[in-house]
Amino acid sequence: MAGRRVALKAIDWVAFAERVPPNQRGMFNALKTRSDGISAKLASLPEKPVAIDWNFYRSAVAKAGMVDEFEKKFKALQIPEPTDTQTSTINAQEAEANKSAQAYTEGSKARIAQYEEELAKFKNMIPFDQMTIEDLNSVFPETKLDKVKHPYWPHKPIAEL
Amino acid sequence: MIASLHDFCPASSLLSVLTTMRPEGMRGERRGREGHREAETRVPRCCRNLVLHPSDMLSRLVFVSASALKSSGPIGAGVVHASRCLHTSSQSLAPVPPLPEKGGKVRHGFIPEELFQLLYPKTGVTGPYMLGAGLLLYMLSKEIYVINHETFAAASIGAVIIYGVKKFGPSVAAFADKLNEEKVAKAQEVKDVAMSSLAQAIEDEKKEQWRVEGRAMLFDAKRNNVAMLLETNYRERVHMVTNEVKRRLDYQIALQDLNRRLEQEHMINWVEKSVISSITPQQEKESIAKCITDLKVLAKATQAKATA
Repeated sequence: MAGRRVALKAIDWVAFAERVPPNQRGMFNALKTRSDGISAKLASLPEKPVAIDWNFYRSAVAKAGMVDEFEKKFKALQIPEPTDTQTSTINAQEAEANKSAQAYTEGSKARIAQYEEELAKFKNMIPFDQMTIEDLNSVFPETKLDKVKHPYWPHKPIAEL
Repeated sequence: MIASLHDFCPASSLLSVLTTMRPEGMRGERRGREGHREAETRVPRCCRNLVLHPSDMLSRLVFVSASALKSSGPIGAGVVHASRCLHTSSQSLAPVPPLPEKGGKVRHGFIPEELFQLLYPKTGVTGPYMLGAGLLLYMLSKEIYVINHETFAAASIGAVIIYGVKKFGPSVAAFADKLNEEKVAKAQEVKDVAMSSLAQAIEDEKKEQWRVEGRAMLFDAKRNNVAMLLETNYRERVHMVTNEVKRRLDYQIALQDLNRRLEQEHMINWVEKSVISSITPQQEKESIAKCITDLKVLAKATQAKATA
């Protein structure tokens, strides 16, 4: 009757909490309180039901055979275990989450590569004292003066001087 | 040697006087990489090696005219002095090495030190001065240079200019340097901020990846919750069954007890009633009289006991 014991997996809430990003902390707290409530409820229920003292009843109840009948029926009774409707949903969710996590990780790696590239560009830059204006324009394209738009010196709107 | 002397014509020598005002002004500009870039017609200051260039003057003319034709490169507000070092070998260095910090050493403001070094072995320390004096004397005596009113004008102007330069040169140079330093510092700051923010961004991305790895825990928690709920439900059912059966049995027992009690009470009442109804009035009187006599006897007995 209690063969479901093994289904529970120990969860390290501390490690879990570390990995939660700050913007999802509320959700995490809600989950934790819910889980704690459920496990408390579970712990409050004894595993085995209170045993019925058949002999006492046999002697006490006058009706003949009633107790025996009850006992027989009771022993033969199989209480059905409740069906699990959610685990498949959860598994599906997990698969989906894995996929999106994969995509996110890919994107993150791409971003990291981009950042590293820019970082390398900055690292390999020649020092400013040895640059010419052309070098500066090639490293920081935004410093390039638009001679076509503003053909006269200072080649940029006066407000930006 | 003389040919190389002519490289420094009076105009260029005056220019080099001016440039020594800000010797480190050129430091900020590195000569361009490519061949003939835009060039102001400045003295090629990096010609440190005064090796005889047969085609020197001619090549410089060509250079100047070429630059005049090709001055289409970007000319920023911070003037680019990009006159090239004349290549001394057929190969060109790439990247071109940066300019020297200070200009060539000069004596008395306009005579390069190299001349003195050149003449030292033959004529000692006073050689170039003698040379200069002799040249001056020659020019004056032969009236190649004629002294007129303009000479005095030139002398006065020269004196004023030299006084001005000597007095205010360093401060102006420092000011200009400070401007440049500020520009460079600003750019450096931008670069530093950019680098640090990039590094930070990389760190953050790595951290987010680490966070993502913990997603399995969420689903484990969910599954645990589901299992716990199911187990709870099951236990509740079991308990409910037991309790119900127990209740029914207890009900039977309680029912039995109730029946017994009712019967008992009913019987007692019935017996009592019948006994009471069987007592006749005659018997009642007799029993009351008997009670009274008994009481009298008892009273006498107690009185006697009390006095005795």
